Amino acid sequence: MTGAMSSVGLGEYCVSRDPSDVVIAFGLGSCLGIGMYDPIAHVGGLIHVVLPEQKAGTDPNSAKFVDTGIPLLLEKVVAQGGDKSRLIIRMAGGANMLVSPGLSGTFDIGTRNIAMAREVFKKLNLKLQKEEVGGQVGRTVRMYIANGRMTVRMMGSQERDLGAV
Amino acid sequence: MTPDARKVDEKLLAKMRIVAARGFSNSAQGLSKMIGQELSVHSPDVDLVPLAAIPDILGGPDNDAVGVYLRVEGELTGQIMMVISYQQALEFCDMVLDVPAGTTKEFGRMERSALSEIGNLTGTFFLNAIYEITGFSSMPSPPAVMVDMVGSILDVVVATMGAISDQIMMFKAVFQIGERKIQADFWIIPDPATLDKFTVAEIKEL
Repeated sequence: MTGAMSSVGLGEYCVSRDPSDVVIAFGLGSCLGIGMYDPIAHVGGLIHVVLPEQKAGTDPNSAKFVDTGIPLLLEKVVAQGGDKSRLIIRMAGGANMLVSPGLSGTFDIGTRNIAMAREVFKKLNLKLQKEEVGGQVGRTVRMYIANGRMTVRMMGSQERDLGAV
Repeated sequence: MTPDARKVDEKLLAKMRIVAARGFSNSAQGLSKMIGQELSVHSPDVDLVPLAAIPDILGGPDNDAVGVYLRVEGELTGQIMMVISYQQALEFCDMVLDVPAGTTKEFGRMERSALSEIGNLTGTFFLNAIYEITGFSSMPSPPAVMVDMVGSILDVVVATMGAISDQIMMFKAVFQIGERKIQADFWIIPDPATLDKFTVAEIKEL
């Protein structure tokens, strides 16, 4: 990837050390966008996970699931020169989009995604630094590889730093 | 091979196409009556769609849109999702609420309720048509209206189906209303167990 805006789709991840790159996960609803950035090595990665856990054997794409996606992203960022102890970790998304008395709660995958992510961070000894999760709102997340800036944009609003509410 | 690819043979697809054509035409008639405008159905079809391609409709996952979502419950189970671009949904509300074009500026309680009604009606008419030709009885849940980015709205479908398969079988159609050409993507996504039922079902010729 060279000097481009790169879209990270459902069940995809992107790791880069090219300072002109911007990696983006568009329109996250119940999905989570998780970013890891090493401010010394200037390497960063963003993953767009869809579901909390990879049930045995059902789907080989580990980037689609929170429980397998986080270790995968960590491995890829470290492989590109990132140091685990320096990583700045942030996440956004995990909304519950369905707000209808007859429906809400039934498929609250957003909440389950968030809970799973916290569990995995704990297990891997990773410190989550900032988050903007839950609620009933979609989010677009960007990571600027040059300086590690991570932003959030919601419908009808401007892009701003993640966690700076 | 994914479970769905194995199940969805040509025979089932042919059967589903009959169901889709019947269902959408019935929905369109019902909706036409409700809004008092001619409504046409374009390219009704049944397709296997890769999960990852779903957020690309309506100009991509970052675009603003309105989604009306219903669960299907009963002998058949599945999901119904109607997606309209933000601007067109405003125009749609003008029509349904019978106010001059350009009146609706945002989605308040009344506008959301109108959109719910549209979802409820199109869904009910579709399911009634299925009942007529298959004898399977089902009904829609109360609708949920979402006003947000395309990607986040469609996460509802992606997350519920994503655990099962990388491809989704869906009934698709585009509704076009009057000269204003409002376009609504209308999807019906049967659960896998429901697909099994269709595989063995007899379809009545009407």
